[in-house]
Order: sequence, then C-alpha cells, then structure tokens
Amino acid sequence: MLREQAQPKIILRRMAVILLTGYWVLVVLFYFLAGEQLHLRKSRGNIDLLPAESGTVELAVGNVVEQRFTTTIHRLEQIDVQWGTYYRQNIGTVFVELWNVSQNSIIASQTYDAAAIQEGGVTTLTTEEPLEDLYGVPLMLRIYADSSLGNAVSPLMNQSTPAEEGSILFLNGTPVAGTLCFSVSGEDYIWTGLHYWEFAVTGFGLLVLLLVVIWYRCKKGKRSYILNAVIAVQKYRFLIRQLVSRDFKTKYKRSVLGILWSFLNPLLTMCVQYFVFSTIFKNDIPHYTVYLLIGVVVFNFFTESCGMALGAIVGNASLITKVYVPKYIYPLTRVMSSVVNLAISILPLILVSFITGVHFHKSAILAVYFLCCAIIFSLGLGLFLSTAMVFFRDVQFLWGVLNMVWMYATPIFYPETILPDNFRFILQINPLYHFLKNARICILNGISPEPIVYIQCMLIALVTLVIGAVVFQKGQDKFVLYL
Amino acid sequence: MNTTMIKVKDVTMRFRMNSDKIMSLKEFITTALRGKLEYQEFTALDHVSFNVKKGETLGLIGRNGAGKSTLLKVISGILKPTEGSVQCYGNIVPMLELGSGFDYDLTGRENIFLNGAILGYSEEFLKGKYQEILDFSELGDFIEAPIRNYSSGMLARLAFSIATVVKPEVLIVDEILSVGDAAFQEKSRKRMLELMGGGTTVLFVSHNTEQIREMCKTVVWLERGRIKMVDKAQEVCNAYATGG
Repeated sequence: MLREQAQPKIILRRMAVILLTGYWVLVVLFYFLAGEQLHLRKSRGNIDLLPAESGTVELAVGNVVEQRFTTTIHRLEQIDVQWGTYYRQNIGTVFVELWNVSQNSIIASQTYDAAAIQEGGVTTLTTEEPLEDLYGVPLMLRIYADSSLGNAVSPLMNQSTPAEEGSILFLNGTPVAGTLCFSVSGEDYIWTGLHYWEFAVTGFGLLVLLLVVIWYRCKKGKRSYILNAVIAVQKYRFLIRQLVSRDFKTKYKRSVLGILWSFLNPLLTMCVQYFVFSTIFKNDIPHYTVYLLIGVVVFNFFTESCGMALGAIVGNASLITKVYVPKYIYPLTRVMSSVVNLAISILPLILVSFITGVHFHKSAILAVYFLCCAIIFSLGLGLFLSTAMVFFRDVQFLWGVLNMVWMYATPIFYPETILPDNFRFILQINPLYHFLKNARICILNGISPEPIVYIQCMLIALVTLVIGAVVFQKGQDKFVLYL
Repeated sequence: MNTTMIKVKDVTMRFRMNSDKIMSLKEFITTALRGKLEYQEFTALDHVSFNVKKGETLGLIGRNGAGKSTLLKVISGILKPTEGSVQCYGNIVPMLELGSGFDYDLTGRENIFLNGAILGYSEEFLKGKYQEILDFSELGDFIEAPIRNYSSGMLARLAFSIATVVKPEVLIVDEILSVGDAAFQEKSRKRMLELMGGGTTVLFVSHNTEQIREMCKTVVWLERGRIKMVDKAQEVCNAYATGG
C-alpha cells in the first residue's frame, strides 16, 4: 500500500546478482570495444624531430651520415629523416638503414629517389612488422646515396640542442656536435592492459568482498550506507519516475512541436555554429559538423542539467515545506530528465554522422562511458549548486556567468590546438574537456583512448559527486528554514 | 490498542531570525567580517512532550503563531527539531496543505499519480484505487483536463480524495475539512470519521472547537510554543473558549 520497507535480504540478493553479472558483461564488453588500444599506446619514448638549423654533408658517393641513438620504444614502427635539397633538383638514390650496433646487423632499410625529396621534407622509413626487443639497445641510422656532387641532397641537423645520452652524430666517420633531424616513433605496451584479466578478476574479488561485508552487516542488523541507498532508490522509484515524467511532460506541454524540440535544438545550434565557424572563422578540423555536434550535445546537457538542478530545491519549496521526501530526489530527478533529453539528442548526432560519412567503429559505443562520466559529474555539481542556491540566491546569477566562461573554456566549436601553450592548463583542469575529448576520440577517430584515461575520467566524476553529496547532506536539514 | 505511535520528547524548535534577512553572498561575507552577524532567536516550540497512542485522535488547538503547524512539521519529518526527538512508529501521511505538489500543466489523472507518488503510494496501489479516487472527487470527465482549468473547489476535492484514499497508520491533518461545498464537506467529514474508526492515529489541527469536540478524544492546547493544557477534549475546549 504505502511504501513498504522491502526485505533488505531480497534486495541484497538481487543487487548481488545484478552487480556481479553486470560487472562481467561490462568487463568483457570493454575488452572487445577497446581493442588494440587496451594494450598499446603511443610510445612515451618517441624521439621528436628537432628544428633544422643546418645541413650535414652533401650526400654524394662516399659520404655517409651516421646517427647513433637508443630508444625506450617497445614496438618501433617508423623513422623519419628531414632533408635539405640546396633548393635544386637532385638525382640519385638515397639509402637509409637502421643498424643494431651491438649485433652489427641491419634491421631495416629503405631507398628513396633523391629527385622526389623536397626542401625541408621528410622521408619515412616504416617497418613491415613493428620492431620489438629494441628497448635500450644502441641503434644507428646510416644514410648514404649514389648521387654525384652538385646533384645530391643533404640530411639536416640541429646543433643548439644538447645531444641526448647515447646520441652521437658521425659525419663520414668523425663525431660532430649536434643531432640529425630525425624522429623515431612507435608504440608501448601498457602494463595494465597486458594484465587486463588479472585486474578484472581482482576487481571481481573486491566486489564479492564488499557484498559479503554488506551481507554480514545486514545479518547483524546493522545498516550500511550502500544498502540504505539501494533501498531508498527502490522505495522512491515510483516517485522518481513520476517526477522525471512530469519534468518532461511539462517542458514541451504547450509547444506545437513538443518532443521534437529535444531533437531540433542541438541540430539548430549546430547549424548556426557551423555557419559561423566554418565560413567566418576557418578551421581545418576533419568532420567538423560531427565534431561540433558532439560538443553541442555534451555541453547542452551539462548546462541544462546543472541549470535545472540549481533551482531544484528552491523551485520545489512548496513541496519541501509540506511533505517529507528525501531531498536529494529533487536535484536527482532534474538531472535524470536532462539525461532523457541527452538520449534523445543523440539521435541527430547519429543522423548527421551518417549523412556526413563518419563511419562508426565499435569504439563509438565507448563514448557512452564518457557521457556517463559527464552525467555523474553534472549530478555532483548539481547537488552542490542546489545547496548553494538555497542559502545564497546570488548563485543563479553567478552560475550564468560561470557557465558562459565554461563554454568558452571548453573546445566545443574550436580546435583545442588554437589555445596558446600558456593557456593550455585551462583545458587540463576542465573536466568537461576530458569527457568531450575522449568521446570525440571514440566516435571520430574510431579508437579507444588509453586505459588510464577511463580511470581518470571516472575519478574526476566520482570525486565531484562525493563533494556535492557531502555538501548537500550537511545543508539539507537547514533547507526548510531558508526557503 | 495501547501501543504508542508517536513519541514527542522534549522538542524544542528555535529559528534564527536575522535582523534583516541576508540572502546575498557579498552581504553575508561583509557582515560576517565586521562581526555583525546577529541573530534573533525565536522559539517556536519550547520543550514540548506528549505521546499519542494507536488509534487515538489528538486535537491541537491554540491561537495563530502558537506553534501548531511547526509541531506538525516536526512530527512529519519536514523540520528537524533543534533539541529533543520525535519517534514515529508507522507510515505517516501528512495533509498539511492539500494539493502540494500538484502541477498545473498536467491533467487531473496525471496529477493523481504525481501527487500519490509524493504522498508515498505505490504504483499498483494507485492504479487499483484510481476509480475510487475519481468517484470520490466527483470530477467526472474533467479528470482529463489540465488542472489549471479547475476551480479551487475542484482542486480541493481532488486533493482530498487522493490524500484520504489510503488508510495510513498516522494521519496528520492541518485544517482541511473546510473543503468544497456543503455536500462535499459532509462527505469528507464522514471519510475522516471512517478513517479514525479504522484504527488510524490522527493528529488534528483546527480552530473550530466544534469539530475538535466532535472528533478528538484528547486535546493539546499550545500557547507560545508551550503546552498550556492536555486533557479530555471537552475540558480543554471549554477552557480554551473562556481563556483563549
């Protein structure tokens, strides 16, 4: 009849089953969706191209340039060399060889037509299979050609940057100060990724342990926070659903297009911004429409949910002073109705992607993870804002300004590269940037970000939620007095 | 029948009244820095204690501002007492103001479910009782119209029907019997008596001593946050009529 105190043990059993099966489903799903990026990432030992300052020697017959170096790349894939041409047309063949110095053997080699080399251009030496076992091994890049003097190219070098350890440049056998302008890149194995299943099992163990502890506490008659929360959700499920559907129904109640607005809004915003930023301010982002739309959808959700949660307590004052309902329900339902909106606005995103020819890879599903992070983050911030709003009504105006600042501090319509280096920290401290960037990687690049990113994003979101919840919890008894 | 349902123990409720209500951050900080944050304490309830037994109907009387509504809010859990404690054994349905939580853009039917959910009814229960609520409210076809088009009498009838469809263990009532036209008032009075007869514990606030005499067994007379008198309904009402 009334909200029954459901049997905690039954709830607990159901919770255990859902948690444990859900855990494995997610673990396996993630394993398949993340694919290679779970094990490999862009190496941290990559050697970057130094700015070219001068030529080495003219690479005619008999001249040879040797660059010794070591790398900490696990799987070496590519070596680039930058060239000078003396601004003339050259002829001949250029040989680039990669040597293993300790074994005195050639590992890889490639030839290039000197005529095709441009001034400041690079030649790329790629290996068929990524080269492994070269970690910390002394290597040598040996470059020579069969051109004649006057028709030969020259690799470029840099003299101002001190050479790194193990890096020596030999010109015709004599060591000289400086470094060849070359870059080495490859991938590293990710330790956590290699041990993915061990981690998965450990996580499972912890989950089981947690359930056992809750079970034990429940048996002894003590209540645990987690179980209480679950029971509360069970108890107020109907109310939450009613409030969410209320928010949703009343939002478009008297509009002609109704629910279609959830669909149209992001599309129209995108159209305006697309027009402004692709014709007035040019940029060269690939798939700019989808890039923009992802930004618009995520940021719109953020603005809407925080804005709605902000007024959740004050707006429901008449209820809060009349009926006892756990107060967190109000901001929670507001955020949840925004989530419904978010789900609807994903449809135009998919539509536009198809029209503009963005191919969805399986990694696109992983973007949902980052959306979830954004939802948790918004809920945390929403709890905080709704509390602050009760005590200081200034918060609503402050939030309006802050929201605008936040919009410009998030790369929604501009590429993140346009920010000068000394302002890049703004992006780094902006949680939304991380969620957005990774969602875009998943959808547009078709690959998964590094595994560590998932943990970072979830941590940011959960810490925000905990802070928001604690502030809310501390303030909620005083709400009635300030409404 | 002798189990205690509500235990009000030494409840004190103090409000801080700012000399002028500070609502802006800047003002708050500047006044706090100057050390001029002054509060006037206002005691709405002063060490109030009483018990209500199962099935009993307790009346609360007192003049405006005596603390009746505050006491009801403390018991229903909306306010947290500054001191003391309230223990309640059983489900409470507070009827402090009818129709709180109505959304004026929704239809009557949607509001039955929304308001029912707020009062704590379950979905199956509401679906089962939907017809009963509709019949009692005498709204007929209006139930599908948005309630912003309702007259105040219709609103009140709907609200009363939703609130009383359930047989709660504890019912908290704040002056709601003056609802609708004479016929409906009579009907709602009957419904209240029916509820009380069914073993529901009722806390009842009214300024109408006639109603109190009729419905309540025991009456608590509050004055300025203190209990002035607790006794049988007749005696307290007589004293209130002469002394109040």
